[in-house]
Amino acid sequence: MRRLFAIALFLMPGPAFAQDEPGLIEWEGLYRVFSHPRCANCHTEDDHPRWSGAHYGEARIHPFNVRRGPDGFGNPGMTCRTCHQETNSPVLHGPPGSPDWHLAPQEMVWFEKSSGEICAQIKDPARNGGKTLDEVAVHLRDDALVAWGWEPGPGREPAPGSAEETYEALKRWAELGAPCPQG
Amino acid sequence: MRLTVNGNPIEIDAEAEMPLLWALRDLAGIKGPKFGCGIAACGACTVLVAGQPVRSCVLPLGQVEGDVTTIEGIGRPGALHAVQEAWIVEQVAQCGYCQAGQIMSAVALLDEIPNPSDADIDRTMGGNLCRCATYPKIRAAIKRAAASTGA
Repeated sequence: MRRLFAIALFLMPGPAFAQDEPGLIEWEGLYRVFSHPRCANCHTEDDHPRWSGAHYGEARIHPFNVRRGPDGFGNPGMTCRTCHQETNSPVLHGPPGSPDWHLAPQEMVWFEKSSGEICAQIKDPARNGGKTLDEVAVHLRDDALVAWGWEPGPGREPAPGSAEETYEALKRWAELGAPCPQG
Repeated sequence: MRLTVNGNPIEIDAEAEMPLLWALRDLAGIKGPKFGCGIAACGACTVLVAGQPVRSCVLPLGQVEGDVTTIEGIGRPGALHAVQEAWIVEQVAQCGYCQAGQIMSAVALLDEIPNPSDADIDRTMGGNLCRCATYPKIRAAIKRAAASTGA
């Protein structure tokens, strides 16, 4: 009986083995970026950006009744740019800033989504802005608002790595078949 | 640097990093926009830049792109803006400190949504705080202004 159990274990493709796949190891690094609060706070499913991260304590909905609006740039009379300018405010607790501050489209949800869910979204042209993975990589490398996530200014924890490293990692992941984890 | 404020060209001798609010109040003598929190969290400093509402306490001069309108520029004695008229009729102001910012946000709202619902008003005005809690009167005045302009 004990021998049969050992054979069964040997034949069973365990999740530990799957996670050692090089493509999944690359994805894990990308997931750490996409799920980081600097990135995920503005990739929300509902109308509200979030305030979360190591320096915020518990995740909070962005105050002031700030909402997505018809295009992700806020509502008439209170757009994102009413407060978020092209650069960070230098004043303590002042609003961060970058060109074109806005929420990601509603179908690009990362906040509180699993690794597998984010991975599937990144690969799906219907939910990634109609992009190939090469185009996604270039967007990550070159977009000014995305770049802010790695240099958010004093007092804010940056996303892991850099724009260039994330670009390279996404290219490697794509070349390895762009596998997604389960769940 | 040169700004256009309420239709008038103004020469400002200041660093590009200076917040617009400081330039308006301290250099140009335009005192309608108020300093409240200094971090875009209360709305008392709200002005329009190219017609869009901006918290002038966090907008660096070097990033001002377009004409600036303060509460002094939307109406004048004898020819008040519909929002100003409505504010008087509804007797909105108590201490009044936040009201210039409130009115500028209301003007920006009505420019884009001439007949706003309660939800439209809440979405716009949520960033303008009033410690006297004049919110019901603000909402009533915005509706009155909308009605008075025939929306």
